[in-house]
Amino acid sequence: HGRLKVKTSEEQAEAKRLEREQKLKLYQAATQTVFQKRQAGELDESVLELTSQILGANPDFATLWNCRREVLQQLEVQKSPEELATLVKAELGFLESCLRVNPKSYGTWHHRCWLLGRLPEPNWARELELCARFLEVDERNFHCWDYRRFVAAQAAVPPAEELAFTDSLITRNFSNYSSWHYRSCLLPQLHPQPDSGPQGRLPEDVLLKELELVQNAFFTDPNDQSAWFYHRWLLGRDCFFPQLIPRTPCLLLKGTVDGGPGSPLAVEWRTPEGRNRPSHVWLCDLPATSLNDQLPQHTFRVIWTAGDAQKECVLLKGRQEGWCRDSATDEQLFRCELSVEKSTVLQSELESCKELQELEPENKWCLLTIILLMRALDPLQYEKETLQYFQTLKAVDPMRAAYLDDLRSKFLLENSVLKMEYAEVRVLHLGHKDLTVLCHLEQLLLVTHLDLSHNRLRALPPALAALRCLEVLQANDNVIESLDGVTNLPRLQELVLCNNRLQQPAVLQPLASCPRLTLLNLQGNPLCQAEGSSEHLAELLPSVSSILT
Amino acid sequence: FVFLILSWGTWQKDVIIQSDAPDTLLLEKQGNYIVSYGSKKDDYEYCVSEYLRMSVIYWDLIGQLHSMNREEILTCIQSCQHECGGISVSIGRGPHLLYTLSAVQILSMILWNMFRVYRNKMALLLEILGGKLIRDSLFVQWQLWLYWGSWMLLMWKRQLNLSCMNFDGGFGCRPGSESHAGQDSCLLLVSCTK
Repeated sequence: HGRLKVKTSEEQAEAKRLEREQKLKLYQAATQTVFQKRQAGELDESVLELTSQILGANPDFATLWNCRREVLQQLEVQKSPEELATLVKAELGFLESCLRVNPKSYGTWHHRCWLLGRLPEPNWARELELCARFLEVDERNFHCWDYRRFVAAQAAVPPAEELAFTDSLITRNFSNYSSWHYRSCLLPQLHPQPDSGPQGRLPEDVLLKELELVQNAFFTDPNDQSAWFYHRWLLGRDCFFPQLIPRTPCLLLKGTVDGGPGSPLAVEWRTPEGRNRPSHVWLCDLPATSLNDQLPQHTFRVIWTAGDAQKECVLLKGRQEGWCRDSATDEQLFRCELSVEKSTVLQSELESCKELQELEPENKWCLLTIILLMRALDPLQYEKETLQYFQTLKAVDPMRAAYLDDLRSKFLLENSVLKMEYAEVRVLHLGHKDLTVLCHLEQLLLVTHLDLSHNRLRALPPALAALRCLEVLQANDNVIESLDGVTNLPRLQELVLCNNRLQQPAVLQPLASCPRLTLLNLQGNPLCQAEGSSEHLAELLPSVSSILT
Repeated sequence: FVFLILSWGTWQKDVIIQSDAPDTLLLEKQGNYIVSYGSKKDDYEYCVSEYLRMSVIYWDLIGQLHSMNREEILTCIQSCQHECGGISVSIGRGPHLLYTLSAVQILSMILWNMFRVYRNKMALLLEILGGKLIRDSLFVQWQLWLYWGSWMLLMWKRQLNLSCMNFDGGFGCRPGSESHAGQDSCLLLVSCTK
C-alpha cells in the first residue's frame, strides 16, 4: 500500500463520461432554471449569476444574452445609481472575460454595444483601448473592428485620429487588410466632395501620399494582397463615376425661324428595353405635330427639371439625324486626369513594378498592377504591351483566366471607343479581338455598322439595345447561344450569325421585334440541323425576307 | 455594375489539395453523421450546440431529403415560430434571424405549398425590420442583416442595398465593415437570380 492508484484507460474513459454527464446535468439545470424564472417574470440577480456560468463557457447561446438584457433593464428601474454603477462595472468585466474566451462571438460584442449605448456616461476612451488590445492579438478580428467603428461614431472620434491608428498598425505590419479597408472608408470622410461633384474622389496630394505608402507596402511584401488591392482602388479615385440622376429631364423644342422660345413639351421617357431602371439610354416620342417640315431646322433642348444641366442639338431640314455629343477624351471617361506630378509618380511606379516582376515572375498582383498602371497612364499607347502582359498573367494565374479574358475585352472596347474619337466613326470593326464580353455599349449609340465577328462571345446581351442606329451587325464565328440584346433595334436590316451555337429557332424570338430586319444568315449553327427549322423560322420571323440556313 | 469578387484568395495561404483527395460531396455520410448526432440527446456537446439546431437540420436535410420525417420537422418548426413571425433555433429559445432563414430554407425544400402558410407571418417580420423597429425580444444581429436580407430577397425579390459595398467590390456585414465571403456569396447568388 501507499502506492499511487493509476487508473486504467477504461476507467479513465468511464470517469470522463461521468464528468461530462455531470457537466451536462449542471448545464441543463442552470438553463432550465433560467427559463423558468424568465417565464415567471423573476428577472433578478440570480438569473445574472446563472447565465454568466453558462455564457462564460458558451457565449453563443444567444437567448441567454437576451435574458441578461431583460434582467438589466428590470434592475435599471429598481436599483439606486450607485448599485447600478457596480452592476455595470461587473457586467463590463464579465463581458471582457467572455471576449477572452472567444473574441469572435457575435453575442458578446453585441451585448457590449448594447450596454455602452445605454450608459449615461460611457468611457469611450477605455473602449478604444480595449479594441486596441484585442486587435493586437488578432488584427483581422472584424468583430473588434466593427465595435471600434461603433465606438468611434458614438464618441465622435475625428476620422484623422482613426486614420492615425491605422497608420500605426500598418507601420508595424504591412499585411493588414483590415487597416487598409478602414483607410478606404476614412479617407473619403476626411475629404468630402461637394454634392454636385463626382463622389469618391480624393484630392491629389492625399492620393500621392497614399500611393507612396502603399508602394512601400507592396515592395516590402509583394506576396500580400492587401496593398495591391488598395493600390487598385487608389488608381480609380480620380475617375468619373457615373451618378444616378433621380430627376427626369423634360424636352424643350424650339422650332421657330426667329429663334423665339418654345414651351416645354411634355414627353415620357423610357429605356430601350422598356424596364423602368437606371439606364444610360433614354427614349421619348415626340407628339406628331411637333415637327414642321417647312422650317430649316429644329433645335431640341433637354433640360433636367432642376435646371442645372442642359443639352441641345439641332436637326436640319431633310436630315434623319442630329446629335450633340461630349467627347470621351474630354471627359476622361475611362481613366483619370493626370497632372504632371501624378503622371511622374505613376510612371516611376510602373518602372519599379516591372523590375519587381523580373525578380518575382510568379507574382500575379504585380502583373495586374502593371496593366492597371499602363491603363492609367496611356491606354492607347500601351495597348500592345497590355495585351502581352495579359498573356503572361493568364499563364501565371490560369484559374482566373475567364475573369482576365473579360477584363481584357473591357479594356479593348474602351480603347476602341477612344479611337473612335479621332474620326466621326459610324462603322466599327471589333472583329478578331478575342472578345469574351461586351461592355460600354452605350458609347456606340451612333454606330450603324458593327463587326463583332471572330471573337469568343457567348451572347448578344440586353445592353445591345442601346445601339439605336445599328443597321448591319456581323457576329459570325463566335460562340453565341443567346440573342437577348437584339430587341427593338429600329434600324437593324442585316444580321449575320453564321458559325455560332444557336441551338433552336426559339432563340431567335427577340428578333421579331426588329421591324426592318430583312436579311438573316444562320448558316453553320446547330439549329440548322433540326427538323423543320426553316418552317419554324419563317413562322417566327415573317417579315424577314431572306433567312439563310 | 462591375463586380470584383474576392476571388483572388490569400495567395500565400493557399492549401495544396492532394491529387487523391475526394472530389465529390459525401452527402450520405454527412447526413448519417448528423442523424446519429441527433440521437445523442444526452450528449453534452449536443446540448451545448443547441444554438445551432435549426441550421443543423437544414444541412442534414441536404443529404437526407428522401428519408426525413417531414411531419416531425414541420412540427418542430411550427413550435419554434413566435408571435412576431420569427423562428427560434430550437424550442424555447428566442426568435432569431439566422434560424428563421434556416427554417425558411428547410420549408422551401420540403413543401413549397405549406411554405405559403408561413410566408404571411414572415412578411410581417419583414415589415417590422424594414421599419427599423428593433424589439429586444428579437435578437437582431444587424451584422448579419445582409446575409439574411439577401436570402429573403431570393424569396421576395426586393431592392438591393449597396451601402455595404467596399473598396474591393466585396460586401461587409454593415456599412463600413470589411468584406466577408459569407456576404459576398449570398449577394452573388441573389444577383444571379432575376
